[in-house]
Amino acid sequence: MTASLEKTSSATVRGACPQDCPDTCAMMVTVRDGKAVEVAGDPDHPFTRGGLCVKVDNYLDRVYSTDRVLFPLRRTGPKGSGKFERITWDEALDEIAARFTEISAQDGPEAIMPCSYLGTQGILNGLNVGDPFFAKLGATIAERTYCDSGSCTAYAMTIGDTAGVDPESMVHSNYILIWACNVMSTNLHLWPFIAEARKRGAKVVVVDPVKTRTAKAADWHLPIKPGTDTALALAMMHVIIRDGLTDDDYIARYTVGFDELADRVAQYPPEWAAEETGIPAEEIERLAREYAGAQPSVIRIGVAVERHAGGGQTVRALSCLPGLVGAWRKPGGGILQLPLWAFPVNWGAMMRPDMLTPGKRVVNQFLLGEALTGEMELDPPINALMVYNSNPVVVCPDQDKLVRGLSRDDLFTVVSEQFLTDTAQFADIVLPATTQLEQADIMFSWGHLYVSYNNPSIEPLGEAVPNTELFRRLAARMGFTDPVFQRTDDEMIAEAFDWTAPAMQGITVESLKAKGWQRLNVPPPDAYAPHAEGGFPTASGKVEFVSSAAAGGNFVVPLFRQGSNDFQPGDPVDPLPHYIPPRESVRTNPELAAKYPLNLLTPKSHAYLNSSFGNLEVHRKVQKDPTVLINPIDAEERDITSGQRVRLFNDRGSFTVAAKVDKSVLPGVVVSSLGGWRKDSPSLSTLASVNPTTFADLGNAPTFSDTLVQVEPCVDA
Amino acid sequence: MAYVVTDACIDILDQSCMEECPVDCIYQGDRMMYIHPDECVDCGKCMPACPSDAIHWEHKLPADAVPFRDAAVEFFEEHEQASGGAAECGPVGIDHPVVTQAGGRA
Repeated sequence: MTASLEKTSSATVRGACPQDCPDTCAMMVTVRDGKAVEVAGDPDHPFTRGGLCVKVDNYLDRVYSTDRVLFPLRRTGPKGSGKFERITWDEALDEIAARFTEISAQDGPEAIMPCSYLGTQGILNGLNVGDPFFAKLGATIAERTYCDSGSCTAYAMTIGDTAGVDPESMVHSNYILIWACNVMSTNLHLWPFIAEARKRGAKVVVVDPVKTRTAKAADWHLPIKPGTDTALALAMMHVIIRDGLTDDDYIARYTVGFDELADRVAQYPPEWAAEETGIPAEEIERLAREYAGAQPSVIRIGVAVERHAGGGQTVRALSCLPGLVGAWRKPGGGILQLPLWAFPVNWGAMMRPDMLTPGKRVVNQFLLGEALTGEMELDPPINALMVYNSNPVVVCPDQDKLVRGLSRDDLFTVVSEQFLTDTAQFADIVLPATTQLEQADIMFSWGHLYVSYNNPSIEPLGEAVPNTELFRRLAARMGFTDPVFQRTDDEMIAEAFDWTAPAMQGITVESLKAKGWQRLNVPPPDAYAPHAEGGFPTASGKVEFVSSAAAGGNFVVPLFRQGSNDFQPGDPVDPLPHYIPPRESVRTNPELAAKYPLNLLTPKSHAYLNSSFGNLEVHRKVQKDPTVLINPIDAEERDITSGQRVRLFNDRGSFTVAAKVDKSVLPGVVVSSLGGWRKDSPSLSTLASVNPTTFADLGNAPTFSDTLVQVEPCVDA
Repeated sequence: MAYVVTDACIDILDQSCMEECPVDCIYQGDRMMYIHPDECVDCGKCMPACPSDAIHWEHKLPADAVPFRDAAVEFFEEHEQASGGAAECGPVGIDHPVVTQAGGRA
């Protein structure tokens, strides 16, 4: 087996999946005569164990799709018409540089804004790839808080940015509480570890408003009303403290603020939580007793847990629980959020916050529609937008407004993409981007503890370039001569990690290129109990039930905002966990609920990764046409039957899908999965048109699960 | 719907697929294995694991394998106990008629 790029014979190249998923699978690409002929999982990888998934098994359909954008394009028709002509890279770069320079001179550089996220999550080509360029340009800073931003703020406020539980240690867990995470669809490679724990006697419990695949497979599913998760977690703490189920020695040695927490959660008895959550008080009591009693217990939280008004407090409360019961003492005990924090990524070298102009304004990408339409007062307005690694028309809320903004004739929009996405359709210039097989990258994971290296396996198709090369070319054309813009990919890889950090001992670029992946230099899963004796990366070094970091007010972790700490939200934060009810629910907003009585949830699809793969034939066959799951009671009230086309709407917008009458959702809840493309929708709109732009309490997290809608049968013309 | 076990498995029952399946959705009949169409997560791990090349993906199914796709659906409708994990369920011990009526192996 070789790890090099070979053109004339058959070779197997070691790669890593680039998708925005915790699992970062080890990929093996078979290349014959310069063409990739097979993509498979690496059976030796201890976490992904030879598996990919329904999305990436068919990655070659993506790479070699006839719909790939392979050359730079310039718009020839009206905005959004999707009419383009092929141009050269020189013409494209000239036009972009000329327009950026002109707009910068006329309106100031803040009239230009980047828009990106994790279309690829390699350290080189992912989250921060454009940051040095836009810092140098002086553009508006893009705050990107799609995923776990509020969760990270809350988690850091409580236990610091620790890796938490090694997912492989979960075979040792005695009680696995999966909270707002559909493991089988979005974290598949974790499931065998859960299944193994179960064989060894662990109980698997799922808290989710929907009876997902994962909930169906669990020993116990607790269907919870959307947005009320904090109430359940606080009531669990109430029971644990009331009944003396605490680990008092652990609390005394390794936590701060227990007495204050005990006073606080005394206000949240199970009877109260039962009203909020819809889960009977006896079940809450039982859950708390079982969770505390079956050590080591672990909580696996999903990204969805933060997506409501009080999402930050949900994670605050959940992060307190393991300390209360001493779960951290043994391997497999604690909480699993993002093991990403174990990786000594040299973020500073990638995003270069030192290059930012102090006091530069920050605009959150959820508000892109408001920013582009002028509804948000911005001086200067945004007159140029550069999109890469993202398809905001599908993944941003407030779709109608965003489309109006993107339709502005005076907005200059550049989109770097693999396909003509719903966003690229509105571009003035489209630039061709490589897929993972055509680029080198080095990867962290937010779902296991292995560093991965992605060797390129084929030459770039057409004139596609990696994002790194895109920004090298653009910087050169803008006349930016700083060394940061001269770095080759290999030089960037050399800077990607703090290679001297203890976690990187035994790992070199060369060893990674050859092996494809290596476990961080941390104890093996059977022995990894990082907080058996405290040692939390908080100010006190302990679990902070009373958070000292809360004193500084609400903040977004700078990683999610190009490294900037300016214009943080800053609003005061209660240092103790507390309940913030959902903003849009029948109980909390009866006036709104009179018009829009159903809570819409918009989880990730099984066969798409956000909107990636939503255009590919085989993935669409698996995912089938977009649907909304609706409980039989709600369906009957509306005279809706399965297969019928229905319209979902609220004050923000509307979209149509087929109904699927299904008892797997609670009455009052409807579920439609994210990822279908707008252009394929009969209503020319998707669920993003009804989702709110309002932030959760911490970290400017989204509130996509805090959405009321009405559903009615379509009167098809 | 999902991955489908076809006639190349009959009387072989290698079971490598069972070991590979991350969600334990491959059940043993009498003469053949069956993949639960609702429990399968389409991950594809079973396909290369099968030494008999008996497993195909529903969406790239050879024409002569179509009866086995339908057989899997009917098998699990018929045998409701075959759900929630093959390990716990154990061998079902019965086959779908398509399999029962298949010829033996030389």
